[in-house]
Amino acid sequence: MFRRLILALVIAAGPLTAQDGPAPIQELLQEQGALIAESSRRTIGPAIDALAASGLPEARQVLERWQERELYREEETGRFAFGVEVDRDTLRLVEIATGRDIGEVSGDGWEEMRPNAGIRGLIAAALVRFQLSDPDPATRREALRAIERGPEESHLAVLRDALPQENLPALRSQGERLERLLTVRFGSTVEERVAAIESFAGDTSVDVRAALNPLVATRLSVSEGVPEGDDIARVVRPGSEALPRTSAYELLVDEGLAPMRLTRSAKRDALVANIENGFVGGYRVAELGTEDARNAAYRELVAEGSAESAIPEEEIDRILDRFGFAERYVASPAPVALAAKRILDGLDARLGMMRLADLALDGLSLASIYFLAAIGLAVTFGVMGVINMAHGEFIMMGAYTAYLVQRVVADYAWSLVVALPLAFAVTFAAGVALERLVIRHLYHRPLETLLATFGISIALQQLAKNVFGTQARPLTAPGWLDGSLVFNDVVAISYIRIAILVLALVFLALFLVLMKHTRLGLEVRAVTQSPRMAGAVGINPDRINMLTFGLGSGIAGIAGVAIGLYAQVTSEMGQAYIVQSFMTVVVGGVGNIWGTLLGATLVGFLQKGIEWANPSNTLAAQTWMILFIILFIQVRPRGIVALRGRAAEA
Amino acid sequence: MSALLEVSGVSVSFDGFRAIDNLSFSIGHAELRAVIGPNGAGKTTFMDIVTGKTRPDTGTVRWGRTGRSLLRMSEARIAREGVGRKFQRPTVFEDQTVADNLMLALRKDRGPLAVLVFRPTAEDRDRVAGLAGEIGLRAALDRRAGDLSHGQKQWLEIGMLLAQEPRLLLVDEPAAGMTLAEREHTTELLKEAAKSRAVVVVEHDMDFVRRLDCKVTVLHEGSVLAEGSIDHVTRDDRVIEVYLGR
Amino acid sequence: MTDATPTATGRRPFALRHPSVIVVVAALALFTCVVTLLSEAYGTGAISTSFVKTLGKTLCLCLAALAMDLVWGYCGILSLGHMAFFGLGGYAIGMWLMYARTHLIVVGSLSGQALPATPEEIRDGIAAQIFGVVGGADFPAIWSVAHSLPLQLAAVVLVPGLLALVFGWLAFRSRVTGVYLSILTQAMTLALSLYLFQNDSGLRGNNGLSGLQNLPGTSQPQSVTSMWFFWASALALGLGYVLCAWIVSGKFGSVIRAVRDDETRVRFLGYPVEGFKLFVFTLTAVICGIAGALYYPQAGIINPAEMAPIASIYLAVWVAIGGRGRLYGAVIGAAVVALLSTWFTGGQAPDLPLGIYTVRWIDWWTVFLGLGFVLITLYAPDGLGGLVDRIVRVRRSDRDGAELSSGPGARAIRKAGR
Repeated sequence: MFRRLILALVIAAGPLTAQDGPAPIQELLQEQGALIAESSRRTIGPAIDALAASGLPEARQVLERWQERELYREEETGRFAFGVEVDRDTLRLVEIATGRDIGEVSGDGWEEMRPNAGIRGLIAAALVRFQLSDPDPATRREALRAIERGPEESHLAVLRDALPQENLPALRSQGERLERLLTVRFGSTVEERVAAIESFAGDTSVDVRAALNPLVATRLSVSEGVPEGDDIARVVRPGSEALPRTSAYELLVDEGLAPMRLTRSAKRDALVANIENGFVGGYRVAELGTEDARNAAYRELVAEGSAESAIPEEEIDRILDRFGFAERYVASPAPVALAAKRILDGLDARLGMMRLADLALDGLSLASIYFLAAIGLAVTFGVMGVINMAHGEFIMMGAYTAYLVQRVVADYAWSLVVALPLAFAVTFAAGVALERLVIRHLYHRPLETLLATFGISIALQQLAKNVFGTQARPLTAPGWLDGSLVFNDVVAISYIRIAILVLALVFLALFLVLMKHTRLGLEVRAVTQSPRMAGAVGINPDRINMLTFGLGSGIAGIAGVAIGLYAQVTSEMGQAYIVQSFMTVVVGGVGNIWGTLLGATLVGFLQKGIEWANPSNTLAAQTWMILFIILFIQVRPRGIVALRGRAAEA
Repeated sequence: MSALLEVSGVSVSFDGFRAIDNLSFSIGHAELRAVIGPNGAGKTTFMDIVTGKTRPDTGTVRWGRTGRSLLRMSEARIAREGVGRKFQRPTVFEDQTVADNLMLALRKDRGPLAVLVFRPTAEDRDRVAGLAGEIGLRAALDRRAGDLSHGQKQWLEIGMLLAQEPRLLLVDEPAAGMTLAEREHTTELLKEAAKSRAVVVVEHDMDFVRRLDCKVTVLHEGSVLAEGSIDHVTRDDRVIEVYLGR
Repeated sequence: MTDATPTATGRRPFALRHPSVIVVVAALALFTCVVTLLSEAYGTGAISTSFVKTLGKTLCLCLAALAMDLVWGYCGILSLGHMAFFGLGGYAIGMWLMYARTHLIVVGSLSGQALPATPEEIRDGIAAQIFGVVGGADFPAIWSVAHSLPLQLAAVVLVPGLLALVFGWLAFRSRVTGVYLSILTQAMTLALSLYLFQNDSGLRGNNGLSGLQNLPGTSQPQSVTSMWFFWASALALGLGYVLCAWIVSGKFGSVIRAVRDDETRVRFLGYPVEGFKLFVFTLTAVICGIAGALYYPQAGIINPAEMAPIASIYLAVWVAIGGRGRLYGAVIGAAVVALLSTWFTGGQAPDLPLGIYTVRWIDWWTVFLGLGFVLITLYAPDGLGGLVDRIVRVRRSDRDGAELSSGPGARAIRKAGR
């Protein structure tokens, strides 16, 4: 009780301090007090506008603290003050105009202004005006960003007011662009909007497309005869893919232009409901075993008045013919929509080019994977004429090696550094063992080698399943390989793919050096071209074969690490790449690394291209690609890079 | 007398290397001809062109009285037209018996369906036996061809060629690796064959060629260097320079 | 080959000249009788219906292996696509089985209605039943003759046959041989199975066709119908064996073996090699199609996974284990490996405790199969058939599709390649 008394005294003292009457802001607030207190989104507009337009220095702070629910109004006097809740029923108040601390008061006499979400949005929009003219460029930039994120009609006027004052060129141009974007959406006249739209010709940014796309939204409409009007986006024909017959007819029914469609089941139900003594509409039930008979009976029912008039399936086409269907622009006036459409079509061409570039990057990375996977195969096939069906399992072995390394070496970057050579070593050893134990005994029996290595393949695959289980094991790339290199909104490539591309190029270079500048390479080339001659000049073909096979297998191991980073490590991962690797070798031709490179490029780009042409179905893409390759063989049975003359017969 | 085979202006090159350069060659209906030349002279490529294995870049190959072009025909078609070829190494089907090999070569309808329903008549068997007699393998009819000696394989292959009843026989180094007695037998076989058909023998061995006693064509760098009797060509300076002399 | 020899063996009947035909056909007949007498439907019931189905399926696999032996062991074309033809045959018959059975079900469910069913209602009902799983309700065009048993039976032969004809023509005319050809056939198989995996392929995507074990139009229990299929499989295998033996016994067999050993030489003899290869490739594809059409009604379900390339490689493995170039070798190989695989992977085989580690056959069978296959390729290229040869000491004239692996044939190939 005593405390209350003190408070009352303090409050009573308040007005005394403002000796020359209430401050202008206080006056303004009290003028709008009723509206502010009512706190309704529909009526609050004038109050916010009045505050924002007042030009008073405190207005911005009032709006901000109002938004934060820190504006209080004294119930008795209607006086406003800033306040912070100290505890449940105590407030610490601050005078608005002067910032003077009023002290703690009981909450009882003060009413908190509670702006709802809608009002807070309006306040925020009003605040933008202040932020846009804030002396701090960071605040102004933030305000522009806020508008970009959630553009509102009210922003347009504010922005136009603020722009002439903006003196930082960067912010000014950003603001001007934003103004045009807002004009596209909210401009008051059609001409203004069309002009703004046309100013964006050739701009492929996401925000432009986001602003333009809603403008060209259409709705299907129907009219008797040929559709007319300048707002037609396109005329559609019933029965086309865009407008199935049933949907077209449903539209007619919805618009009240045609009677209900008589579905078979509705017709049947109506007939069943009207069966009397084994007859319906004058027909015997037993006769109603065809749709024609049922239609006739139904017509009888309609004539009797015991069924609703409806059109049977068979007559729908006749009715549809009388109407025209068109998609019309509904989101904006026709000139605006047409302008937007024109600009978007222009963008599509540019976007198409960029998507093509993106596709090319995808194709490139796929090609580099196929190249890594196929190069080992191509080498062994070229030098030894042997197809190693277990090649895919060597890829898997490399990937599992990297997985095991990663469990020992925690740092992802270092584990990769260890894993690459180790994977090479492991698969090199496996390759040499396979050559020594199996392939050596099957020379000149290529088909049997193919089958024997297949036996190895299924054994290794099952072994991996037994050891590592069937679930996929992750192989994590180091953090700096996360993310993508982004060229623009459309064209981007992930760093992992870049790394694989680099790896492929490194191997291409290494391989070329090995082949052209080392003794081993010389001997390998000699054996490839003529094994007998090579033997005659003292090259030991056994050793060359062994090393070649080891080398091919080792590269498969490296490819396994790369593929594991990008896909997942499973016992079946080799199978996913083996057929494509075969295709690469077949298409590229044997005995030449450039052939393999071209083959991988062709196969990779082809696969991506077909996927692009038919994005809904990756399976279909593979089918088409394999068909293409079968046909390709017709034209070039020996691959792109084919040896001719006597060498071809070796 | 018109020629059986007339090759004119034929050229072919592999990756820039001219294996055959504007070659012209013709042979009559019943004639024995030896073709000689150093390694790389284009002897084998010449045979490849005539038998359809290699397509020339330019030139024509005319065949028979009507002068039909062989260039559009497949190897098998050319073989059915009556061109028989014997390879340098004996290529018989080692896995099958001598009789099977000869039966395979016997001049009959070659279509898959005809072959499927074919059953040898007594006449066919007699013909096979007769051929085996000619090539001295009468007693070896039931032996696997793979078990024959090198010379016997050569004869078997010649026998298979005779069974084909070709109008032109192309024989690549028939005497390679044969004993003296075997060579004589081979010479007889070829001379006999040439009485009723054209026979082209590619050979390195000058003694063997001399024994054949026929017209000789010398190839060099893909074209004809000299042509005539053995004595004529062995006296030719250019032939001596590129081939005989050292 | 005896009948081409002008000596002694002139006019004897075909079967007498080829005792292996008599032996195999007799063994097959005996086996069929024994199974029939032990079956649930017609005998003591010692053999369960599901095992009858397993045996029947094995006979179909033997027939496919026979075809594989003809095309690979005799003609030298290592096709990695013959199980695709097998699957196509299965799909062709499966479409009729599924359609006819669903037709019965739909007619049955509609017959309870007050009105007689119209053809449209029945057709819609069947389509909804069959294609509901892939979100369709209309019949794709390839089902347009599914209602007709004769037409679908024709499809069993025609679809694999035409595919093989077109593919073979493309492949052989461009002179693709050896390993290249194997890879190309593998690609064809992969393309086909990937295509069938799609939902809009019209064949129910990865769901495949199911319920094929029910034979429409009969009320007999499974134990009886499974015996019918068993007999049909045995008959097909018997006829297939005689046909293949007849083909390889004559000059045709001689030509295709020659093609296998030295294609170029055969061409210079005037034989249209491509035509022979195409004939064998297509014929064996048809045989595989028929085998598949008998197999899948016994399996009950077919899906695209069955046509994956690996299935065709397994087919080659069976033939290799059985011994190429001997028809009975293919039959033995397929029967032994398929039955053993069923036994080991079916969970019936007891685990093998080795103290520290227990070998579970489900996990390890494939490993041993793979390694065992490598060992057979290395050390017993004649396979199990070679074993039979050694025991029975068959006269060599009878196993004329001789081993490519051991010597002369291989040498000939090497030469041809040079």
